[in-house]
Amino acid sequence: MKKRKKGFPILYIVLCFLFFYVPILVMMVFSFNSSRSLTRFEGFSLHWYEQLLADSEIMGAVSVSVSIAALATLISTVLGTLTAIGLSKTRRVLKEWLLNVNNLPIMNPDIVTAIGLMILFSSMKFDKGYMTMLLSHVLFCTPYVITSVYPKVRQFDDSLANAAMDLGASPFQTLTKVIVPCIKPGIFAGMLLAFTMSFDDFVISYFVTGNGVQNISIIVYNMTKRTNPTINALSTIVIVVILVALLIGNVVPMLANKKKNGRLKEEER
Amino acid sequence: MKKIRRAAACLLASVLLAATLSGCGGSGRVLKVYNAGEYIDKSLINEFERKYDCTVIYETFDSNESMYTKLMSGEEYDILIPSDYMIERLIREDYLQPINWDLLTNAGNLMDSVMENAAYDEEHIYTVPYFWGTVGIIYDTTIVNEADLSQGWNLLRNTDYAGEIYMYDSERDSFMVALKALGYSMNTTDTAQLEEAYDWLVAQRDAMEPVYVGDDVIDNMISGNKAMAVVYSGDAAYMITENRNLNYFTPEEGTNIWYDCMVITKNCTDTELAHQFINFMLEDENALKNSEAVGYSSPVESAFEEMRETVYEGISAYEPRFGHPSDEVFGYQETELKKYLADLWTKVTAY
Amino acid sequence: MRHFKSLIRPYLVWSFLLIIIPLLLIVLYSVTTGGNSLLNIQFTLDNFKKIADPIYRQVFLRSLKIGLITTLICLLLGYTLAYVISGFRERTQTTLILFVTIPMWINTLLRTYAWISLLSDNGVINSFLSRLGIGRMSIMYTDFAVILGMVCDLLPFMVIPIHTALAKMDKSLIEASYDLGANRRQTFWKVTFKLSIPGVINGLTMVFLLSISTFVIPKLLGGGQYVLIGNLIEKQFISVGDWNFGSAISLILAVAILIMIWATKKIDTSEGGER
Repeated sequence: MKKRKKGFPILYIVLCFLFFYVPILVMMVFSFNSSRSLTRFEGFSLHWYEQLLADSEIMGAVSVSVSIAALATLISTVLGTLTAIGLSKTRRVLKEWLLNVNNLPIMNPDIVTAIGLMILFSSMKFDKGYMTMLLSHVLFCTPYVITSVYPKVRQFDDSLANAAMDLGASPFQTLTKVIVPCIKPGIFAGMLLAFTMSFDDFVISYFVTGNGVQNISIIVYNMTKRTNPTINALSTIVIVVILVALLIGNVVPMLANKKKNGRLKEEER
Repeated sequence: MKKIRRAAACLLASVLLAATLSGCGGSGRVLKVYNAGEYIDKSLINEFERKYDCTVIYETFDSNESMYTKLMSGEEYDILIPSDYMIERLIREDYLQPINWDLLTNAGNLMDSVMENAAYDEEHIYTVPYFWGTVGIIYDTTIVNEADLSQGWNLLRNTDYAGEIYMYDSERDSFMVALKALGYSMNTTDTAQLEEAYDWLVAQRDAMEPVYVGDDVIDNMISGNKAMAVVYSGDAAYMITENRNLNYFTPEEGTNIWYDCMVITKNCTDTELAHQFINFMLEDENALKNSEAVGYSSPVESAFEEMRETVYEGISAYEPRFGHPSDEVFGYQETELKKYLADLWTKVTAY
Repeated sequence: MRHFKSLIRPYLVWSFLLIIIPLLLIVLYSVTTGGNSLLNIQFTLDNFKKIADPIYRQVFLRSLKIGLITTLICLLLGYTLAYVISGFRERTQTTLILFVTIPMWINTLLRTYAWISLLSDNGVINSFLSRLGIGRMSIMYTDFAVILGMVCDLLPFMVIPIHTALAKMDKSLIEASYDLGANRRQTFWKVTFKLSIPGVINGLTMVFLLSISTFVIPKLLGGGQYVLIGNLIEKQFISVGDWNFGSAISLILAVAILIMIWATKKIDTSEGGER
């Protein structure tokens, strides 16, 4: 195979990441703003970090956001993956129908989904709060998983699964040992999208929740007029934590490998 | 597989964390308060919880309308803090219960002038004022000529400032401006007058090319991006503290004077606690704290005076105009009228 | 493989309960009047007649335009990025994709505020330009600002699916193509691109669907004169309280989009071939 040149790719990636991260950097800078403006920097201060730590409402919202996003991602990934696998073996009419239905939550403006669910939950006398929010998040995350996994399932070669079963694997074994590994990139993509959608959702969460259960987005959007950099401080911490985790996850194994290789070389001597 | 197990462990941990965080809380008595976002000094809530040994479930909304939508879905709260016109609607639709003024020992702290001017609930049967103010024009003194201010609302159509204007992206506030500029009542239901106001807004749009904004106007004006904007007095006071080149004025043709009030809902069971909360917010010291944190004008006399002489010294926006004959409070609008105005406004903005 | 057919059953039930039933409610609202309580309804088609007003047609067309432009730019930038990323080692690829996604975990509102402080008349970019002596440019409240903000927000939805399609591509096919004498360009269009079509379709659908119903970004970066279908609907439901009209608009939107998707699928099956 011909080797691609590395110059352009790296330049392009750097430019794209600049595009993605410049707003994030600006947002981080404003978390150190001494005034409450989000667009005009007045001077350095750690005021908003102190505010953040003292604010039990925000800290509560963080745990709701994280746990809802994690659970919704898990459930919708399992549900979505199974559906996508099943879908490829379904009759054409049913398949088309389900795929279109599946597009509805992506396509409907959030407010429509939100009002629909709100009326549904109210008319069924559901106690609004954590559970209704989780259900709704699974609802709008699953379509992203299905759309991500389904193309990979379509590419999957059936004969592999058939071979596995001919060799005595149970359907469950075939599923976990053969099919899932083959469609893993799709599942990974679906998970990422599901987590993203869940973590950033405001409209739907707002109308289906109750009893004081709030996520970060609800707090941010309801600040409207008096939006203040406390949330920037929170986001800065989130970003830093993620970056450090990624760094540790990537660099430490690399260093460990080097060490191991080094030791092996020494032993060879 | 190891990765998956690790992820599952993290997940479990976060869920447990969430469960413990949401599970904690005081004993017995619970008060559910529903207020606009960032519209209270949160330390007051903690203080109230300690003082009365209760739990406050505090939720926020971003507009009166989304609060109303939430109420219609069957959500129940004990105390709401909506604006005048929404309160009128809630009273008509029988959502509220009367205030027992005997329980409010701090009621004497309220300013008479605020209590007397209350078209939304003349006798204050259901409402206790929380914050109040007017709508006016904030302008950059380095760009706008003081002499032009005499033009009143028509300053917004002075072509010297074309391309330099922010208008509120809301039919209620914008039609108020146009109706007042034309010398009509802002609560008019006369279609001919509304059509005329619509023409005013279209003409303004074509001549001035204003940008229709929401609350982002606050940061934009502070940064000096344009010369003037229609804003609420409480926001104006804050903007002026951040940018001393700004000044606020209320046109002579009259304006919207607004009140946000605390009300108790019909389904509130622990009315004693609800009254205690309202009374707590009316205490001199707490009202001052709250006004300092939010920046809006307090209806509690001592807090109002104190703020006027300290943080907002020399800033007229903190002291909304009183008793001007053409100033009005927004009234309840029938749905048909609201639909009609919304359509007209879409036609103004989406050209 | 037929064993796995039954796997869709949970989702069938689920989608019926939580997608179809709420949607039926919306349909019901769209053909009735009588306020928001379902007790005293009357059937009518007035809600649909109202949409025929030229102003609403214009709003529809503007949303469509913005949606299409955003989708197109996302496709160009996103495909290149996904393709470039897929050239790295597998481990690096995962990290890069994560880096593409992480910005999305920051609240949209905050990121849009950051764009405002970058783009506004007295903002970071303009002060930089005037320091260079170039002079200020009016960037805020233009099509450019809106498209910029939307592309930044939606690009990951294009990159991720395309990368997924490119990532596990059978490299031997590309080698075979070279062995058979195809040059780089031919190999790209005839092999790589063709195999990535499912991912492209997927990305196009997601970005287009999301961009056509969005309104937070256009409203902040373009101003209130950027009335799009998304804020029209939101306004009907919340500030006007006219759920009937709001439902009618969203129903029309849904039908219009379903037709477009159906048309795209037709192209997909005729060109890419159904497997």
